[in-house]
Amino acid sequence: MGRYAIQRLLGVIPLLFIVSILVFMFIHLIPGDPARLVAGKDATLEEINGIREQLGLNLPLWQQYVNYMGDLLKGDLGESVRSGIPVMEMLESRFLPTIILTFTSLGWALIIGLLIGIVTAVNRGKWPDYIGMLAAISGISLPGFWLGLVLIQVFSVQLGWFPTGGIDTWQSYILPSFTLGAGIMSMLARYSRSSMLETMREDYVRTGRAKGLREFTVVGRHALRNSLIQVVTVAGLQFGFLLGGSVMVETVFSIPGMGRLLVDSIAFRDYTVIQALLLMFAAEFILINLIVDLLYGVLNPKIRYASK
Amino acid sequence: MRFKGRTWSLLMLLLAFTIVAAGCGGNSGGGEGASEGGGETKPVTKDNKDVVIAINANFITLDPHNAGDTHSISGARTMYEGLMGFNEKMELVPMLAEDHTVSEDGLTYTFNLRKNVKFHDGTDFNAEAVKVNLERIMNEENNLRMRKSFSKVADVQTPDEHTVVITLSEPYNAFLNKTAMALIISPKALEDGIDITKNPVGTGAYKFKEWVQGDRLVVLKNEDYWQEGLPKVDSITFKPVPENGSRIAMLKTGEADFIYPMPTEQVSEVEGDQNIVVDKIDSTIVRYITLNTMKKPYDDLKVRQAINYAIDKEAYIKVVKSGLGSKLTSSMSSMTQYYSEQSGYDYDPEKAKALLAEAGYPEGFEAEIWGENDSETMKGMQFIQQQLALVGIKVEVKSMEGATLSDQINSATPEDAKIQMWYVSWSPSSGDADGATKGLFSSEFFPPAGSNTAYYKNDNVDKWIMDANKSVDPEAAKSIYADIQKQIWEDAPWAFLGVDQVITGKRAYLEGVKAFPDGSINVLNAEIK
Amino acid sequence: MSDNSTATVISVPEETLVNRPATGKFKAFMSKFMKQKLAVISSAFILLLFIVAIIGPHIVPYPPNEPNYDALMEGPSAAHWAGTDEYGRDILSRLIDGTRLTMAVSLSAVFISAIAGTILGLISGYYGGWIDRLIMRGSDVMFSFPDLLLAIGIVAILGPGLSNVVIAVAVFGTPSFARIIRSVTLSAKESLYVEAAQSMGAKNNRIIWKHIFPETVPSIIVNVSMKIGGAILAAASLSFLGLGAKPTEPDWGAMLSMGRDYLSIAPHIVYFPGFIIFLTVLAFNLIGDGLNDALDPKTKN
Repeated sequence: MGRYAIQRLLGVIPLLFIVSILVFMFIHLIPGDPARLVAGKDATLEEINGIREQLGLNLPLWQQYVNYMGDLLKGDLGESVRSGIPVMEMLESRFLPTIILTFTSLGWALIIGLLIGIVTAVNRGKWPDYIGMLAAISGISLPGFWLGLVLIQVFSVQLGWFPTGGIDTWQSYILPSFTLGAGIMSMLARYSRSSMLETMREDYVRTGRAKGLREFTVVGRHALRNSLIQVVTVAGLQFGFLLGGSVMVETVFSIPGMGRLLVDSIAFRDYTVIQALLLMFAAEFILINLIVDLLYGVLNPKIRYASK
Repeated sequence: MRFKGRTWSLLMLLLAFTIVAAGCGGNSGGGEGASEGGGETKPVTKDNKDVVIAINANFITLDPHNAGDTHSISGARTMYEGLMGFNEKMELVPMLAEDHTVSEDGLTYTFNLRKNVKFHDGTDFNAEAVKVNLERIMNEENNLRMRKSFSKVADVQTPDEHTVVITLSEPYNAFLNKTAMALIISPKALEDGIDITKNPVGTGAYKFKEWVQGDRLVVLKNEDYWQEGLPKVDSITFKPVPENGSRIAMLKTGEADFIYPMPTEQVSEVEGDQNIVVDKIDSTIVRYITLNTMKKPYDDLKVRQAINYAIDKEAYIKVVKSGLGSKLTSSMSSMTQYYSEQSGYDYDPEKAKALLAEAGYPEGFEAEIWGENDSETMKGMQFIQQQLALVGIKVEVKSMEGATLSDQINSATPEDAKIQMWYVSWSPSSGDADGATKGLFSSEFFPPAGSNTAYYKNDNVDKWIMDANKSVDPEAAKSIYADIQKQIWEDAPWAFLGVDQVITGKRAYLEGVKAFPDGSINVLNAEIK
Repeated sequence: MSDNSTATVISVPEETLVNRPATGKFKAFMSKFMKQKLAVISSAFILLLFIVAIIGPHIVPYPPNEPNYDALMEGPSAAHWAGTDEYGRDILSRLIDGTRLTMAVSLSAVFISAIAGTILGLISGYYGGWIDRLIMRGSDVMFSFPDLLLAIGIVAILGPGLSNVVIAVAVFGTPSFARIIRSVTLSAKESLYVEAAQSMGAKNNRIIWKHIFPETVPSIIVNVSMKIGGAILAAASLSFLGLGAKPTEPDWGAMLSMGRDYLSIAPHIVYFPGFIIFLTVLAFNLIGDGLNDALDPKTKN
């Protein structure tokens, strides 16, 4: 187990290295000249060239990459092309809002998703099943930006229950996390339903039922516990995708998180910031995958790790 | 027992479903409630003196010498001041200089500085401070955005503590406007080497409190401000809120006291609301289509005129600008310095068709229009496509992300440029005629050197632009700019469309916060009533 | 748009879809499927949409692209059942006309990613070894990018336009297909008759095509039907970012995102496209769920 974990951890390094090259090439493949965008619309050619030189954008691409990686290995993420602010500093202030947003989204999606999953599985083929699945699938059938705008219109402007966005109070996270979690909720509901159905067919659940245990006990103690492991695992995997989804939600709800920083940085071809963000997203995704993998092994002794 | 479990689960289901249903069903209700005027009946008051302003983009930098975007400039102006300033008509007014004189040859500017002004850190404002700031701007190593505005400065002298004499190498008509853009930073702060983008120290009415990247800029009342009785509020908080719908929602709920820009689509909706006041002023922002005069068929004056006749400018304002704007009647807005009104190109599709036939295109032709991919620009391009279709010009709309578009335009030589029509806007950064003319119409400024995307070249215009820049006498400059505008209007390198309005929304209790014609926000006189 | 790409990896418990000859059980499948009331209703709705997509241009009450500046943003009425938009165009006509476009974009995007993903998944699962690791690490890398950047990147590199939207949506749909098909392939490979075929000396290509591919068909069908909804939403999200359909085209997503500035003054402009997108995506998802249940051998009637 320990050996497996170390092996997997070491495996992350080449993966991140490849990601860094890909990210770098990809960004530079996208047309757009950061020097010109920084200089502004009425800049002279001389000014633009000056900025280009200052940023090192006149160097050959491989050299830019080497310089970048050199700084990165020293722990220096560089400075924003657009504002000159150190990237590290920008990430510091942007990190927390996104993390809170994704965790709250995941949290409620997990609870509601599981509830719907249980209820629909227990009542399979009856009308609570239909309503539950309809509600769950509705969550994944709406464009996120639209749901967000409608929620603001209804719950902030009309009813005045929640703020329209921002990060000033905990209430400001309610609408955005609902919007962001809707898709995941629907997915988790469907997944927990099918995994509940499956475990309920397993022998030990049937035995429990045959022994005359109450349905509640059967569902709660046996079926639920087993499918819970799988559902939590799956939910963990969604974390990376939530990070991506935060882009739109952060725009609609004016949350100063990493998603919005990414959109702004892409618009200005702020290479250093985009690179840092993407590497961070990738690292986070890979890390969480790894943790989920390992947890799965801990929770489910049936799986053994072969070290090949 | 079984029954109980089921009831419970049904309740949970119902709850989940209601939440989703409320989200969907609420949409139609949203419209009805809103059109009745927000629902509140009593005018709302505010019990503190902290003003929140929501704007549509982030601040980029708080270095006043390196700020290029309007919002960063607005932010800097809460804390900093220049020798000169602008009033709400974009006219120059004295700020840190009480008065000034210009020598007859237009080369020497003498400023008499205001006395008893202190920076936020207690340092005195004096001639030396001005000199230090100008040197910072002009130092090539700093590579500041403001440097090119001061490239003609040959010498800065400080004969006494309250006098600054600036000598230029050649006359530069727009120089005073530039001195209004160069805000003065505390020399002590600069000397100490603290990062002034993080800790701005100026002479302005507000002191820096905090700047959280992407979330807010907070400035506090400067108790020792040199103008008596100002400022009247305790703090100002700027918040970037990019999505139009969210920004207006903040104004309606009172989370923001002032928003800019106010989405034009929603102006009519809030106009009946007694808690919200919408202010509209003409801006210096002009909207037009550049026509590539080096490319067929746009190289034919008749074709360019036909396009101008084919577009109904009134309908453009009604449809694209929700009725808020005015026709563009020259190459610059009426709010820009030395504007001279032109006439003609009234909507006349028959004349447009006739001109096209004369030019050899009786059936029209196929064309392509470029523009950025924000919803407002896309709306404008769609309208233009509809209008030109009526005279037989079949336009394909190509919306591109800003940086991609800029790359497309600037990576081409004039001869092989693919650009045909570009739907775009322009606003001179310091409200001066030079900024609204040179980069757009001088043949020196074909892309990538500048923004003359019409590839317009007229020898007279080229010469006049140089003359105007060097003229010392405002009247002479005015008449030269009149000639320039007349010539451009006749040559029609653009399809002239409209002038934006700067539209702001505010809560009724807030006064004194104003947006200027260039879209910058002034909070000096902010007051809660 | 990001949620959709994984939704289906998970929602189809992979192992349930294998171990079952794909042919000959059509009747059993139909009888199971017909019992799924929601899925049947949804199928009828989608069928209707396809009919509208085909005959749409002939049944529109107004020319969908003809502006009328004297009838801007009028609410629903007898003359305009769904009202008019910000140019005074009839929204119902645009929705009908746009059905074809919206369907074409999402269907072709999903088919492209299904084909590419199936091929990659089959290769990866069947051959294993370095090629498997390469493909799977590749999809890991793609998963670790936010879809948004991929989409912006692809559209920026290729230029704007609907065909590039198709490519962008297809590219970020491919890895999840590859993963699903790979896991189905792995279990199919273990099954007896593949081993038998191998021992009889059949060529790899033939084994993949004749024995393994049929095993993956149910998964492909289920996933295609579930992904179409996601693709419609992804295209709409691209429109929100200004990277979608040309603003002149009556694509539903473009209508929704162009109209969002009018949400509070003329909600019908976004209400109708939003509602039709919602119904369509919902229907495709319900069909997917129904198919999943019907194709699942463990499901009891």
